[in-house]
Amino acid sequence: MSSITLEDLHKVYGEGGGEEVRAVDGIDLSVDRGEFVAIIGPSGSGKSTLLNLIGGLDVPTSGRVEVDGMDTGGLSDRELTRLRREKIGFVFQEFNLLPVLNALENVQLPLRYLKVNPKERRERAMEALEKVDLVNRAGNRPSQLSGGERQRVAIARALVTTPALVLADEPTGELDTANTCRIIEYMRVLNRELEQTFAIVTHDPMVARYAGRVITLRDGRVASDEPGEDAPLTCDDLKPV
Amino acid sequence: MIKYILRNMWRRKARTFLTVFGIVVGIFALTVLGGLSARLTQQVQGARSWFTSSISVVPSGSGLFGGGENQFFDLKKVEEVKNVPGVEKASAGLGVTLAEQGGGFSFGAPDLLIGLDLSEGSGLLEQLAIGEGRPLQPGDRGKVTLGSVLAEKRDARVGDTVKLRGEPFEVVGIYRPTLSAPDTFAFAAYEDVLPVFLEANPFLQKKAISSVVYVIWEPGADPEAVAARIKDEVEDVNVISPRRAEQQISQFSLIFNAILLGIALIALLVGGLSVINTMIMSVSERTREIGLKRAIGAETRTILSEYLLESATIGLLGGLVGMLLGLVVIWLLNSATASQNVSVFAITVTVVVGPVIFATVLGTVAGIFPALRAARLRPVESLKED
Repeated sequence: MSSITLEDLHKVYGEGGGEEVRAVDGIDLSVDRGEFVAIIGPSGSGKSTLLNLIGGLDVPTSGRVEVDGMDTGGLSDRELTRLRREKIGFVFQEFNLLPVLNALENVQLPLRYLKVNPKERRERAMEALEKVDLVNRAGNRPSQLSGGERQRVAIARALVTTPALVLADEPTGELDTANTCRIIEYMRVLNRELEQTFAIVTHDPMVARYAGRVITLRDGRVASDEPGEDAPLTCDDLKPV
Repeated sequence: MIKYILRNMWRRKARTFLTVFGIVVGIFALTVLGGLSARLTQQVQGARSWFTSSISVVPSGSGLFGGGENQFFDLKKVEEVKNVPGVEKASAGLGVTLAEQGGGFSFGAPDLLIGLDLSEGSGLLEQLAIGEGRPLQPGDRGKVTLGSVLAEKRDARVGDTVKLRGEPFEVVGIYRPTLSAPDTFAFAAYEDVLPVFLEANPFLQKKAISSVVYVIWEPGADPEAVAARIKDEVEDVNVISPRRAEQQISQFSLIFNAILLGIALIALLVGGLSVINTMIMSVSERTREIGLKRAIGAETRTILSEYLLESATIGLLGGLVGMLLGLVVIWLLNSATASQNVSVFAITVTVVVGPVIFATVLGTVAGIFPALRAARLRPVESLKED
């Protein structure tokens, strides 16, 4: 079953003005459930815009976006919010966490929006932190965490609701090799175990290497779409710093 | 949620403090003035039942509260009033202030010695409940009944002799507190007060005078109609019927409440604007956080309520602190004047709760615009913001 379907998708900024930018310029794409897709391409090729369009954070100029069989074009702002809340997990490159909340509270946030009761919320958030190996940092605020730890908290938060689709925008952008590896490994495991779909925008060739499919964008279009190496991943020799 | 909001407020300690302080100042002023107004209202309530239980006839040009000491009736007027149909009793009254040399400004009703024509029976005095001793009776000479505050001030008990304007009087009764004007009054026979009055006003030509005629209407008669008739039939008088007294008293408290309202409006403006400013700054500082929350599924109304709650909390804090400061000052001022048996401020439920509710509502209302701004941010645009 298709997790993401895009039909003739366009996003134009500054339409009608002198500096019209065609960020996404006619993309047709279909991603099946359980795929692990890396989206690569030079800066300005439309990667982030594409991700925002899929996630319902941005509205396309024309074309069609379907997530989990649901056409997002016809949805109201409220319904889009609900879609994001229930079906999608987001990981952003930086400034990912709320500074006034500690790691555990940050991970609990999406569950709160889903109106999960406090006890279950805490348990599930602890579980998610356990999976990213951060239980001992649960009480720390983001300012007390390293870059790698912060990104792991953000991933735990994206995954705590077990969303059908995980959209990550440069999730390893500011991490060293060891941390990058651990994070990919973790996402890969979930991808296999829970059949969650992952779409990851990245510059990192390492991420692309372990993806099941690599889509290259150029000037807002799909320049190539080929299977990745899907290499087996072990981070044992890459201990995090 | 509350914990989270307090933490957010704590991020900009100085700014939050200054904003709260702005509200504190306004609410402090509101509380103190509220205490003043509450005391005044108590007095006005008391005065209302006092002044509306009889018709007061005063010389034309004189009013319910003022001018009474400088304009006088000939005693013949009392007879004229008495002859008006519907009048049951009309007694001459004469008031002398008890402050020897002006005595400076005093809040509330002045201490007065009031002489009443007792031969008509003490109709007016029947309105006052005696607490100790007995009321004045026809034929009492050299005797006085005291309002509760005045009795305490003079440390007088039934049987004691007090000097009023130098004249000794025997205290025969003390009234129950009414929380109004009569509490600071002393009542005696007209004949006893007249010489005191003449001594206090040595330039007066007439020797048989009255500053007011108190009229009790016949049972069943319409006091307004009786008042109108007196006005028609007796020349050169100003008749204050119960309804007019009521109006004058209301007008008096209305002016004070208008001042109070003015202070409240200033507090509203200053406090409200600073809350709006602070909240707008908070929203623009946290634009990315708002975008993030929206991305992971927060509804617009969740964001809205978060920011409304934050500004309401600012209001509530300012209100609580301001109100408590106000109470402390009221308490200090009241204990400073307690030795003179005057309390200038009253602390009522409204005085305590009102300003806090006002501040909280103010904070909430001031937060509406910034909170709407926050809630309407588009996730993708706010995430791009630095």
